Amino acid sequence: MNTDDINLAYKIRHALNDNLDNLPASTTDRLAAARAQALARKKADAPVRAKSRQRAAFDVSSLFSMQWLARAAVVAPLLAMVAGMVGVYQYEHEQRAAELAELDAAVLSDDLPLTAYTDHGFNAYLAQQQQAQQQPQRAQ
Amino acid sequence: MATDKELNDFLESVERRAFKQAAYAVRKDEAALDIVQDAMIKLAEKYGDKPLAELPMLFQRILQNTILDYFRREKVRNTWISLFGGLGRRDDDDEEFDILASYEAEEGTSAAESSADQVERAETLRLIEEEIQKLPARQREAFLMRYWQDMDVAETAEAMGCSEGSVKTHCSRATHALQKALEAKGIKL
Repeated sequence: MNTDDINLAYKIRHALNDNLDNLPASTTDRLAAARAQALARKKADAPVRAKSRQRAAFDVSSLFSMQWLARAAVVAPLLAMVAGMVGVYQYEHEQRAAELAELDAAVLSDDLPLTAYTDHGFNAYLAQQQQAQQQPQRAQ
Repeated sequence: MATDKELNDFLESVERRAFKQAAYAVRKDEAALDIVQDAMIKLAEKYGDKPLAELPMLFQRILQNTILDYFRREKVRNTWISLFGGLGRRDDDDEEFDILASYEAEEGTSAAESSADQVERAETLRLIEEEIQKLPARQREAFLMRYWQDMDVAETAEAMGCSEGSVKTHCSRATHALQKALEAKGIKL
């Protein structure tokens, strides 16, 4: 860039600087507020930073513990419900097994062999015996 | 390391220029104020412990990145608006136009209250700002950082993420474009 160009650039700079004073009060107030906000959040000095790191670490750990608590609050009831359902299923299963075992024991310990119940001739014989028992009762 | 007072003084010295710089880029005063606020907070939060000498370059880099972020968000927002309603898109265009028009009227209003010379001077300043806004983004960034923010070529190159040669080229083109545009409007500085 030659001297004329640089002169022009600096004249433009001068004009722009002049215009800075014409900013509305609302804008300058907003900029001052933004500056104050930025300063309030300034990165702390080294020793203070160490403290703030400790605090940050504490905050992070407490945040984690809070998160774990929140997670536990959701997960614990779910686990309890699943455990309850498994318990009920096991109990029902054992009950059913016990009933079947009792039935099996009753059938096996009976005088009649198991095949007798599937024999049609034997069933006819039982029906006949029942009718014969009922007929003398009616006669009386 | 910059003390609170040094940081405050630094921000106070750059905040108005930063606001105008952002306003030239995004053409919306409210958005420009938000951008400057974000940039100030980022600088204080992340680089508040840096030496004072490093702050101008860091602030410029943050400011440019924040402006870019704004444009990215606007692009995404406009994409969604164009997808979900042509009416919304038209409203936005109207809004943008109105803001620019009211901005110009604002400048005119303050000038109208002054004497004839001040009116002419204010008009000249307005035209200069208008021409700066019309510059391509990279040329405008380079020109403003180099000649308005008092940054040297190396600092400008670092803040813009380009070579020093590119900064010189951008500055030269920006100056020539401004010279040509101002001459065309009969403005002699």
